[in-house]
Amino acid sequence: METIMTIAALKIVGYGLGTIGPGIGLGLCGYGLCVGAARQPEMAGRLFTNALIFGALAEALALIGFVLTFIF
Amino acid sequence: MEGLTGNPLADIVAPIEELSESFNSAVVFQLGPWSISQYTLWMFIVIVLLVAIVLIAAKKITLVPKNKFASMVEYGYDAIRRNMGEGAIGHGYEKHMPFLATLFFFILLANVIGLIPGTKTATGTLSVTWALALISFVYFNFYGVKAKGGWGYIKAIAPHGLPKPMVPVIWFFEFFSLVIRLLTLAVRLYGNMFAGHMILGIFAIMTQVFVLDAILFASPLTALPGVVWFLFIFIMYVLECLVAFLQAYVFTILSAVYIGLATGEH
Repeated sequence: METIMTIAALKIVGYGLGTIGPGIGLGLCGYGLCVGAARQPEMAGRLFTNALIFGALAEALALIGFVLTFIF
Repeated sequence: MEGLTGNPLADIVAPIEELSESFNSAVVFQLGPWSISQYTLWMFIVIVLLVAIVLIAAKKITLVPKNKFASMVEYGYDAIRRNMGEGAIGHGYEKHMPFLATLFFFILLANVIGLIPGTKTATGTLSVTWALALISFVYFNFYGVKAKGGWGYIKAIAPHGLPKPMVPVIWFFEFFSLVIRLLTLAVRLYGNMFAGHMILGIFAIMTQVFVLDAILFASPLTALPGVVWFLFIFIMYVLECLVAFLQAYVFTILSAVYIGLATGEH
């Protein structure tokens, strides 16, 4: 019982650690989008599309962590 | 609520276990050889509703918009056409519009219906979101191969104009990110909907346990956190309404971006 609880707790801690990087990455992605759109508003549409692609890439790591908590 | 001890932190354990069990795909009824789970049932309800809404709107549509309901559906379709079609795919978006609109309205309706108490979110299970992601994945790969040819599509995974020795490395990374799209599309939608409903459920349990403990054991101070949790439910519910729309939007626009990447020139 104790071991099971420890593993369950470690999974959650591991997922929490795994979200730090993607969190920073997504923040930078949004920052870049806002700054770029403020400087060149006519580019906002294309920047938004690119921001989504890179946001999805950064988010992938967090989502893999989310899946791993279910697998193991 | 049997066996309350008066200690709210001990009392929440059993209801929370009950809550997580309620998220499992329980079989509702048997349809020949297939077992229909609660999520599948709600998926079918969403499909029927969606078809009904669109058919009713299509019947009332006129050149000069008169009917409010038809105008609403038309406006939604037009918003997707402008945002996702022109914005994300660009040239030749017209033939992908039916697919994107169906995807968006199906996910939106499933998410919104799941917010009504007593219902289940069809997108709150991995099985449904896997299916949606697989449809999207097969769709954009199919159109990519159609636009560039089999070998051309495989070559186009790596961006154009790289130095020769770098091509295999970048190709491998790009290929990995291509395959991982299937996973991320499915898990993003599932994770958001599942976690949101789990949090709403936990807040409701908190309210219930704290208030019941306060009434049964005559300790008014215990009711205070219950009231705070009750307010939190409202805040989370508003957030969930936003997330329901946002996730439908993100899923669809990412599908549109992937289609644009697969069919367009790199």
